[in-house]
Amino acid sequence: MAAEGNAIDPIHQFEIHPIVNFSIGGTDISFTNSSLFMVVILALISIVMLWGTSSKALVPGRLQSAAEMAYEFVASTVRGTAGEGGMKFFPFVFSLFMFVFFSNVIGLIPYTFTVTSQIIVTFALAALVILTVLVYGFYKHGAHFLHLFVPSGVSPFLLPFLVLIEVISFVSRPISLSVRLFANMLAGHITLKVFAGFVTLLLGAGAWSALAPLPLAAIVLLTAFELLVAVLQAYVFAILTCVYLNDAIHPGH
Amino acid sequence: MSKHASDGDGPSDEDRELRARLDKLSGALAEQRLDARERQMQETAADAGGETGRALSLGFRVLSEFVAGVVVGFLIGWQLDAWLSTSPLFLIVFLALGTAAGFWNVYRIAARPTTPGRKNKS
Repeated sequence: MAAEGNAIDPIHQFEIHPIVNFSIGGTDISFTNSSLFMVVILALISIVMLWGTSSKALVPGRLQSAAEMAYEFVASTVRGTAGEGGMKFFPFVFSLFMFVFFSNVIGLIPYTFTVTSQIIVTFALAALVILTVLVYGFYKHGAHFLHLFVPSGVSPFLLPFLVLIEVISFVSRPISLSVRLFANMLAGHITLKVFAGFVTLLLGAGAWSALAPLPLAAIVLLTAFELLVAVLQAYVFAILTCVYLNDAIHPGH
Repeated sequence: MSKHASDGDGPSDEDRELRARLDKLSGALAEQRLDARERQMQETAADAGGETGRALSLGFRVLSEFVAGVVVGFLIGWQLDAWLSTSPLFLIVFLALGTAAGFWNVYRIAARPTTPGRKNKS
């Protein structure tokens, strides 16, 4: 019980600390543990994709079939939700999916840092998606893109309210997109840490230590569950990107 | 073809018949391709974590879309009140609109899966 003071701090894993200090014009741009893991993620994705596609064997090896599966999975998602015209955004969606997928899965390894558990990262990704939708929508359709906010077949009396609701609904998209990914990762990691804390607390509690295996078993189950959540959230992020891009490609509902 | 062309109006009949058959065939082909694509879509959806996983992600989506609508409405109303110092008029109005937008988000999620099915039948 004496160790309670500093032993269990479930938030500690999300702390950002600089590894190399930089600052330009008073702005802190240090290379942090978050930046380090972004570089690790990019390196891993590059290795899987470059190495996997280098052999071009007719009968694929392990890495090549992993790369091909990733391609086919994202390609079928894009085709299914945004149609054939959505394939011009395939590189964008594929990069997003791979980045989120790798950062979610790598974050499950002990002693690593989960990049997507920082809301600024997920919000930057979501803002990138929405800005792409806006820029492409206005570039492709001009003012016609605004028809996205005007539902058809509504009485003129109700129209202003419905347009306002549509606009709020559109503005809420980047928020729901980023908060969902961030909250899932944050909550999952905190849960794991809290249950791990139960194990150490029970071990130090005399006769109660007989109960210590219970939270340990829960951690095993929760880790499997978190793996499922990590993969699913990457998939949901990719499919919602496609749904939003679909609005930019075909704004007329 | 050149042999038939000298037969008078015979070939045009035959041509028309051929074209009709071709149209029917290509129509069937397109339909089959659409079916295959839909089946593939369902398969990939099933691959993404099975029944529980899909239900889970749908639940999270519904929750976050609804909350995001309300939060955005609240923020817009709050900021407008701060700018125009009309507190709490716009806060109430936009909170109501934001809630409606949240429900609209949820409705859109719930309504989407049935649309392709309906289109298929008609």
